Amino acid sequence: MALLDINNLSVRFGDKNAVPVVDGLSLTVERGEVLAIVGESGSGKSVTMMALMGLVDAPGIITADSMQFDGNDMLRLGRRQRRKVVGKDLAMVFQDPMTALNPSYTVGFQIEEVLRAHLGLTGKAARQRALELLRKVEIPAPESRLDAYPHQLSGGMSQRVAIAMAIAGEPKLLIADEPTTALDVTIQAQIMELLLSLQKEQNMTLILITHDLAVVAETARRVCVMYAGQAVELGQVPQLFDEPAHPYSEALLAAIPEHSQGAARLATLPGMVPGRYDRPHGCLLSPRCPYAQANCREQRPALDPKRQSLARCFYPLNQEVA
Amino acid sequence: MSVVLTARELTRHYEVPTGLFKPHALVRALNGVSFQLEAGKTLAVVGESGCGKSTLARALTLIEQPTSGSLQIGGREVAGANKAERKAMRRDVQMVFQSPYASLNPRQKVGDQLAEPLLINTDLSREQRREKVQAMMHQVGLRPEHYQRYPHMFSGGQRQRIALARAMMLQPKVLVADEPTSALDVSIQAQVLNLFMDLQQQYRTAYVFISHNLAVVRHVADDVLVMYLGRPAEMGPKEDLYANPLHPYTQALLSATPTIKPDPAKPRIKIAGELPNPLNPPPGCAFHKRCPYATDRCATEVPAFRPVGTRQVACHYAERFVAA
Repeated sequence: MALLDINNLSVRFGDKNAVPVVDGLSLTVERGEVLAIVGESGSGKSVTMMALMGLVDAPGIITADSMQFDGNDMLRLGRRQRRKVVGKDLAMVFQDPMTALNPSYTVGFQIEEVLRAHLGLTGKAARQRALELLRKVEIPAPESRLDAYPHQLSGGMSQRVAIAMAIAGEPKLLIADEPTTALDVTIQAQIMELLLSLQKEQNMTLILITHDLAVVAETARRVCVMYAGQAVELGQVPQLFDEPAHPYSEALLAAIPEHSQGAARLATLPGMVPGRYDRPHGCLLSPRCPYAQANCREQRPALDPKRQSLARCFYPLNQEVA
Repeated sequence: MSVVLTARELTRHYEVPTGLFKPHALVRALNGVSFQLEAGKTLAVVGESGCGKSTLARALTLIEQPTSGSLQIGGREVAGANKAERKAMRRDVQMVFQSPYASLNPRQKVGDQLAEPLLINTDLSREQRREKVQAMMHQVGLRPEHYQRYPHMFSGGQRQRIALARAMMLQPKVLVADEPTSALDVSIQAQVLNLFMDLQQQYRTAYVFISHNLAVVRHVADDVLVMYLGRPAEMGPKEDLYANPLHPYTQALLSATPTIKPDPAKPRIKIAGELPNPLNPPPGCAFHKRCPYATDRCATEVPAFRPVGTRQVACHYAERFVAA
């Protein structure tokens, strides 16, 4: 059975008629898999994972046909039970390590807190385990870091501590929400390598939320491209990069400076992501899509299997067999 | 070829208090940077946080005085210039900041913000100013009705267009852009980068483009300056530098940058550790603690920034990496 099975998840803020921030998202993630969710700001990639973790507060409304994680129905889980799962089997690393850690407590205390809450470790045992965790995330001189406060650590170090806290309960699923966006390139490379080696070592499932396609190409096996709250394409990594089926995936790839070497201008999609008031009637990309036809403006396409991937498009690209 | 900006051994040090009754510590944020900039060309400055990129930007735009070194704008020396001359020089060097959310005045209409440089620096009448602003707005892809709007009504990409328009109002000789697209999404980044290129072509403005994103730099730059801990590590034409990086730090940066076409056969150069504390930089080459090739000499002797082929490199062993 899949580790995570989300079916038709929608998240709205306000009332039932509000524009959905996440719109009918279905996603299945197998054990030990590395899945990337890519999209621009406001595409709903973070909110999806927040909804899974139960971190969407009022006035947010979550609706879904089902949301199964490791045999738990995350929709109907009570608060107490949820707290047993979230933070242990289901953990998250956030974008900004400087705000993810509590500035008033030492690093050691914060890691020990996780161990105490989820594994019942206390005293020496907890401290010993915290030290092991710091070693595992390759923090130099971990003994002295246990008593350090977050402000005494650099961004890369703080992110390592945040990762140590996340893996303290040996999670089955680790969600990393833009884990390296706030970091420099050389540190980014170190952190990505650490996450991947931990993933392999513990056969953990990793969901990587990012806007950086290059990071996806280097780390993930499968990728889900999101646009305006919808998953528009789901496919395997080299294939989706070589032959995207959805025009949005194609446009996203074409907009990367790396792709248009030598060309004076970068390929761009005209316009912007539709907002609350100008949500199109038909396909959400239709006002910006260079391939849009009349029916694209009338009807919303479904996420259907195409040659290489699942894509939400009436006229998918790269469908002819070479 | 007309040189519009020359920096020679630009240096900026900051004194930082370390505690009551303790001597001030000295941070060498910028330590001997030299380059020339020609009209219509782009120099990209690359490096990680704390390498002195933004200090360089502040020195070039005359926001801060360099501690030592010389800066010439349009052939005139900045040091020693009087107040009126400095004001004239400031016209020629404009800046676009990283976050368009913080760099625009939230209480001023966009049109007024764009007109302000003209109001301060020219004798144009209200009508003429308005005309110029409208023309510039059209050029950066804003609609005429946007004149009356406030910054909060715009998206990040549009705000960066406004910031760029404001910087270009006086048609400066040099535009310093400090991470202008790092707050933007990829597709919006592409639009803004295109706009940068279009404006440069039209006005032959020289750009100093500061970025940590090597893929973006590769797209926009003519020359690239790589900095590490306040010092230049390597400088040269873009093609050479990307094809055959000579400084181990440049090599590591390029290797650490993720690409959409990863080549599994290509070995990853791993560099361990983090940027050293600028208050207490290591002796010798600042990079030697993280460098895979470091020798005893690197730990004691500061490498000179010296010419190697088409480039300048600050590494004792740069010749070793020259591709045959």
